[in-house]
Amino acid sequence: MGEIENALPQTTAPTKVSMAVNLGGLEMKNPVTTASGTFAAGREYGDFVDVGSLGAVTTKGVSLNGWEGNASPRIAETPSGMLNSIGLQNPGVAHLKEHDLPWLQERGATVIVNVSGHSFDEYVQVIEALEDAPVDAYEVNISCPNVDAGGMTIGTCTDSVEAVVGRCRAATKRPLIVKLTPNVTDVAEIARAAEAAGADALSLINTLLGMAVDAKRRRPQLARVVGGLSGPAVKPVALRMVWEVHRAVSVPLLGMGGISTGIDAVEFMLAGATSVAAGTVNFVNPRASVEIVDGIAQYCEEQGVQDVRELIGALEC
Amino acid sequence: MALVNERARILANAKVGPNLYLMTLDAPDIAAGIEPGQFVHMKVPGMEAHILRRPFSVYARDVRTGTLEILYQAVGFGSEHMTGLVPGQCGDAELIGPVGRAWHPADAKRALLVGGGVGAAPLFMLAESLAAAGARTDVVLGAQTEQALTCRARYEELLDAPPRCATDDGSFGREGFCTSLVAEALAEASEAGEQYDYLAVCGPEPLMKIVAGMSAEAGVPCEVSLEKRMACGIGACLSCVVDTVDGKKRACVDGPVFDARKVVW
Repeated sequence: MGEIENALPQTTAPTKVSMAVNLGGLEMKNPVTTASGTFAAGREYGDFVDVGSLGAVTTKGVSLNGWEGNASPRIAETPSGMLNSIGLQNPGVAHLKEHDLPWLQERGATVIVNVSGHSFDEYVQVIEALEDAPVDAYEVNISCPNVDAGGMTIGTCTDSVEAVVGRCRAATKRPLIVKLTPNVTDVAEIARAAEAAGADALSLINTLLGMAVDAKRRRPQLARVVGGLSGPAVKPVALRMVWEVHRAVSVPLLGMGGISTGIDAVEFMLAGATSVAAGTVNFVNPRASVEIVDGIAQYCEEQGVQDVRELIGALEC
Repeated sequence: MALVNERARILANAKVGPNLYLMTLDAPDIAAGIEPGQFVHMKVPGMEAHILRRPFSVYARDVRTGTLEILYQAVGFGSEHMTGLVPGQCGDAELIGPVGRAWHPADAKRALLVGGGVGAAPLFMLAESLAAAGARTDVVLGAQTEQALTCRARYEELLDAPPRCATDDGSFGREGFCTSLVAEALAEASEAGEQYDYLAVCGPEPLMKIVAGMSAEAGVPCEVSLEKRMACGIGACLSCVVDTVDGKKRACVDGPVFDARKVVW
């Protein structure tokens, strides 16, 4: 306790381990970013985390114009996790450019912008609006379970995945990450479609569609009835899917789903992820992203791993 | 002040009324910086599979001892678990704080504070600061029973005029809801030509809505303190949004204290 510990945003600890990774053309100083929607655009965490010390900051999904999002209640706590149905509330891409991207740039952050849309056109329009902005990569969100148009409806069918990824690919030369939903029968099939359409990397998993009920009131806990499950509860599912997709495609993977510690992150890298994202854990521990970087480095030091890239896909089975 | 995440030892945790508990925490950084109406976002020790933090209003702070007091009601898994925490045996809590928009009484000369149930607690630091600034401050408290009026004694000690109280069962003060006392206070002040210039209310949402309506009718500026389900508690996740005339606002950092005229009930 005390003022020194609390006074400054936390930065990563020095390490002899080589921590840099390359995610489909995106140079990251370490493998850790933030999961979209759990970190806003970093500013809210500015008292806790030196955002420039992270591998990247992934911003909350942004659409062309602002979205109001869903009715309340929007979250429910569930065993070892939570459900959310925020509904991609955001003030639109112009606000992100004016308000948030300069703040991130001032702090030397590597920036991945999560791109959302109601239509194929809107994804392209968001990317076009950002091409002159300080953005290092795009993450195309075809996996949000909480919107009626766009989101997961696109990401569950190979034809629409190829169509939207192909159009985004044509709109930018920057690294293009496509975020996959776990709410499909065969995630490898969707992953191959995204790769074929020009994705430089794939991120997974978005949240698992779920539901919680208040038995006494006979009502759903969420106003929208269903929502996306995240947190430690989903980690085994996420690990399995990262492993399946790693075997199915050759592009690098950004793994996420219930990562709370450096060891969790290492597990994802062993299963095939090149980089990882801290999501729901940011709500529990606002310094978690930095602590996960340090935890990975500590694991490498203890295991005699000199370069973190040695971990990628190194699962022995 | 900047937000901190402070490890806080639980110094005391006692039942103080029917289903009401008072927790004292050792948190000198937050105690030094917190303003009336701000809250702390607590990681409760020993919650295992319940991973989220819980937001709590601060009832009182002591800068000298570096402590905070939280008055809470057991309403769900988290708060029921808290009632069983034994100081010295349970682990430490972690508090993010001080979070949110404080009460803004401006330079109020005559204030009316209305607290329903545990809503009496987040108004106490405001009453202290109004008293210190020399504002004439009246208080209306409502609760289910006399035993549930746990904050009454501290208000009596602090202020010249004892709080007007109402209980659902009539065991203390007026029988029924405290809204009738609010109406009387506003009418009396108006008749005396000394109308309030600030009203603050915290409690169940129907109470806040009714009092907000009364204040609008009387032309008295009014603030309310809203509570919503929260995840991050620092403005990032957009779980706790409130509908306002200016669009959706975050209860955690745009509130919890809002201008009552802006809230869409």
